[in-house]
Amino acid sequence: MQPDKFYYDNKIVRNFGIATVIWGIIGMLVGLIIAIQLYQPAMNMHNQYTTFGRIRPLHTNAVIFAFVGNAIFMGIYYSLQRLMKTRMYRDVLSKLHFWGWQLIIVSAVITLPLGMTTSHEYAELEWPIDILITIVWVVFGINMFGTIIKRRERHIYVAVWFYIATFVTIAVLHIVNSVELPVSFTKSYMVFAGVQDALVQWWYGHNAVAFFLTTPYLGMMYYFLPKMANRPIYSYKLSILHFWALIFIYIWAGPHHLLYTTLPGWAQSLGVVFSIMLLAPSWGGMINGLLTLRGAWDKVRDDVTLKFMVVGLTAYGMATFEGPMLSLKQVNAIGHFTDWIIAHVHVGALGWNGFLTFAILYWLIPRIYKTELYSKKMASFHFWIGTLGILFYAIPMYISGFTQGLMWKEFTPEGILRYPNFLETTMRILPMHVMRSVGGAMYLTGVIVMAVNLYKTAAQGKLVANEAAEAMPLEKVNAHAGTERWHRRLERKPILFMIGSLIVILIGTFIELMPTLTISSNIPTIASVKPYTPLELQGRDLYIREGCSNCHSQTIRPFRSETERYGEYSKAGEFVYDHPFLWGSKRTGPDLQREGGKYGDSWHYNHLMDPRLMSPGSIMPEYSWLIHQKLDTTTTPAKIRAMQVLGVPYPAGYDKLANQDLDKQAKGIADNLAKDKIRVKSNKEIIAIIAYLQRLGTDIKANKTANNN
Amino acid sequence: MFKQFTEHIDGNQVYLLFSLFIFPVFFIVVTLLLLRLRKQHVDYMSDIPLNDCTETDIKLSKP
Repeated sequence: MQPDKFYYDNKIVRNFGIATVIWGIIGMLVGLIIAIQLYQPAMNMHNQYTTFGRIRPLHTNAVIFAFVGNAIFMGIYYSLQRLMKTRMYRDVLSKLHFWGWQLIIVSAVITLPLGMTTSHEYAELEWPIDILITIVWVVFGINMFGTIIKRRERHIYVAVWFYIATFVTIAVLHIVNSVELPVSFTKSYMVFAGVQDALVQWWYGHNAVAFFLTTPYLGMMYYFLPKMANRPIYSYKLSILHFWALIFIYIWAGPHHLLYTTLPGWAQSLGVVFSIMLLAPSWGGMINGLLTLRGAWDKVRDDVTLKFMVVGLTAYGMATFEGPMLSLKQVNAIGHFTDWIIAHVHVGALGWNGFLTFAILYWLIPRIYKTELYSKKMASFHFWIGTLGILFYAIPMYISGFTQGLMWKEFTPEGILRYPNFLETTMRILPMHVMRSVGGAMYLTGVIVMAVNLYKTAAQGKLVANEAAEAMPLEKVNAHAGTERWHRRLERKPILFMIGSLIVILIGTFIELMPTLTISSNIPTIASVKPYTPLELQGRDLYIREGCSNCHSQTIRPFRSETERYGEYSKAGEFVYDHPFLWGSKRTGPDLQREGGKYGDSWHYNHLMDPRLMSPGSIMPEYSWLIHQKLDTTTTPAKIRAMQVLGVPYPAGYDKLANQDLDKQAKGIADNLAKDKIRVKSNKEIIAIIAYLQRLGTDIKANKTANNN
Repeated sequence: MFKQFTEHIDGNQVYLLFSLFIFPVFFIVVTLLLLRLRKQHVDYMSDIPLNDCTETDIKLSKP
């Protein structure tokens, strides 16, 4: 039998590589800008479109889905063809995938600064973009499975299992977390509310880390590390165990993002236990990677790609040790809502995702251009400034996190909060924020140096767009099928493999999500909790538009330090009309769940106009545009109708009357402000947001005798 | 605070125990199957990424 001659498609790999570098620089630059805004609010240039709440999601989306996303596709398109010994299934699908993905990113760049957001972290994009993501993901899936099916290598290497698990799990996560009811082309409400919405979101959020930032990178590690070290993976058996254990356990761990909230306690406990178990497969993978270099450590001294790999794997090990530790309730009580989490995330993102991406780029670009790397010195400089950048980023954030967590909880011997003014704790950590932005700038400098180095490398070589290869075609196997081992058989059947992976991740998903979503007694209702008034509902949507939940939580944990500072701890029944939930995950500013009635309307007006008028030294941006912009009340009827569909008990036909009530309430607030000599028309946005802020948490305050049903 | 939840969800302990039970079972089954893998197959699988079947690889593999 003659071998088949065919060509690998390197052009698509190159295109994803270019997109990785460009979006990486943009995403990190936005990150640097918002980092500076946290000690220099004027860095928003007094512009609503560049204010923290709106562009923090732009940073996270850009680095996760644009930088890491394109890097994943670069790595998969390069390795999958070679592992399957065939070209990608269809060139047209590859191109559709590439341009479709870039279109999604451009849509995010346009819509997020405009304030079009669902407010679900890492899933902020509105419903039309969600549909586009689904279509592009299906295109990617068809292309990937088509390639696997037409392969010339009978057995599917472990890297490809990780790619398959990534594909199927991200599809499930994206669909479930995007179940939303459109109100208009640019606005939707989440179908789930309150606790249920929080559980779905963090099941998604945690597993986005697992199946977008981890499993595809592990797949790439299992392919590229042996290539770079020119030796097989340390233990293939360990890689199988690593794979199945990792995808099984990861899916359960989401509730550790919701410890001490109103999520049912048993679901929290489940999340903690599985988070601790997760340490084993995570470290199994890291050890398997590092031990692949046994006997080749001398190469690490000279080879910059291996240097990046080693630090990347070490960062993975550190982050996956810290994750289970942070999921312990006692540790989480201090770490949650603080900069500790920011440090944790960035050790993983900058170290693991960033450094693995750089290693692959440095290894891959010279190969597809059939040349040598332009400058090893520049690459070495990138390695060192990147590593130092991570340290300069992470260490101040750890110090800042511990400081915040402990200051928030400190009592005097007399039993009162030592730092009752939240701002005092913020001011204390500002030097750390300055240091962090220096670290970020160093890391970004390294990436820019890499971009120049790779550009020069490409310029001195010539892209081998179609790389010739030859391999024997596959023969049919029937003879010894019955005697084959179980996993060996599975390795030949990609669809069966996908179904197996799907079953494994669905076990955890169902057991964890279904009781909270279906058993009503998990969410005790409270008689005094009423739906938002139309003005409050509009104000809430402005709160979402401005991304307030990026800095302010709305959930008070049952600690004395929190009830003293913020008021009565949160109850599940308080959130039943919250589509979406707005608990937040970070307290750059104080919790707002009991904000209603704490201050007068004029305080909120002045505070939003210029926070430093009311709180000298505050790092909150000003929201002066809310004073000038007119509230769009044409959307009120549609919003009321949408809420009715979702089960919020507005009376029948209320959509037609809602704006009358809205005007009446708005006029009341405007009159109230006028008493304090603040002249503002009742149709301005600031009136609606004041209405919402004054409502927060008052249902419980209003009726102390309310009982849980 | 959490008592109200545990009292209101029927069979919650079953969920907890069942969840904790299925992973060890799954883990042990996979481990046992792994131990039965043949060395020859494991070596073959480990070497897959090292051969891209490109012209460079083909030239290198020729004596």
